[in-house]
Amino acid sequence: MEASNNEFLRGTLKTIVLKLLAERGRMYGYEITQSVKDRTNGEIMLTFGALYPVLHKLEQEGFLLTESVEVDGRLRKYYSLTPSGSASAVQKVSEFERFVEAMQSLLQPQQGLSVG
Amino acid sequence: MKKLTSHQLGLLQDHLIRHNTNDALLAELLDHLACEAEEYLWKGYNFDLALEKITQEANSKAVKYLRETYRQDVAMSEEQLQTATLDDIVFEFRNKAYGAYDLRQSYPMALRNALILGISLFMMLMAFLSGMNQGEWSFISSWGIMWMVGVCGMAYSIGTWVFNRPPHRLTVPI
Repeated sequence: MEASNNEFLRGTLKTIVLKLLAERGRMYGYEITQSVKDRTNGEIMLTFGALYPVLHKLEQEGFLLTESVEVDGRLRKYYSLTPSGSASAVQKVSEFERFVEAMQSLLQPQQGLSVG
Repeated sequence: MKKLTSHQLGLLQDHLIRHNTNDALLAELLDHLACEAEEYLWKGYNFDLALEKITQEANSKAVKYLRETYRQDVAMSEEQLQTATLDDIVFEFRNKAYGAYDLRQSYPMALRNALILGISLFMMLMAFLSGMNQGEWSFISSWGIMWMVGVCGMAYSIGTWVFNRPPHRLTVPI
């Protein structure tokens, strides 16, 4: 899948980030891209151009806390959820699950509608 | 895991700066690219090849896309714009730590203090000269009052300057 311009991905990026942070607690940007890549077997590749604006937006909205740590001579910025971020993660994931279910029922071939 | 040397990190940073990376993202992107480079090194590439691959991927198009998305997503909301000062708007996506933002913030204060100090010194000088001229001195005369007002003004402006000075930064942020 073509990474950052994918229209399906764009709307779900926030959900992905919140969900991962809810599971893992504290992550930095590159770690998030790698973990998405590993778990989807390379099917979803986040580019930095798509990821960092979302992270900063979530931080601005008060969902994420950041902490900069110096690692090997460079600054690494770790993100973690605030309480409102955790609540939003639960809500977004459940909303998305409902959306996926609805999509699945749309994608299934329609049965039982025989021509009368 | 192989680590990048500071020279190699410098090369990556140069690349990002050349492509006009957003100041707010520079340190973070540097870490991102450095992680990618280390992964290439770990897979057995040499650094030059890794650098080439990374700079291809993080080309100006990608960085531009990042800058634009960032501007759209993280721009100030309507409410924030209502209360934002001109400085906040001008420096929204710029490096505030560099110093110009602080200078602009403290400028009105500095101007006011300088004005008060200038007027006070002038009044003191005038009172002093007239005292010398007349050969006698009284604090109750109009020149005496002028002298006292000048002293108060000087003390006030120097006092506010000393106590409200922003803490001096010694470290230069990356």
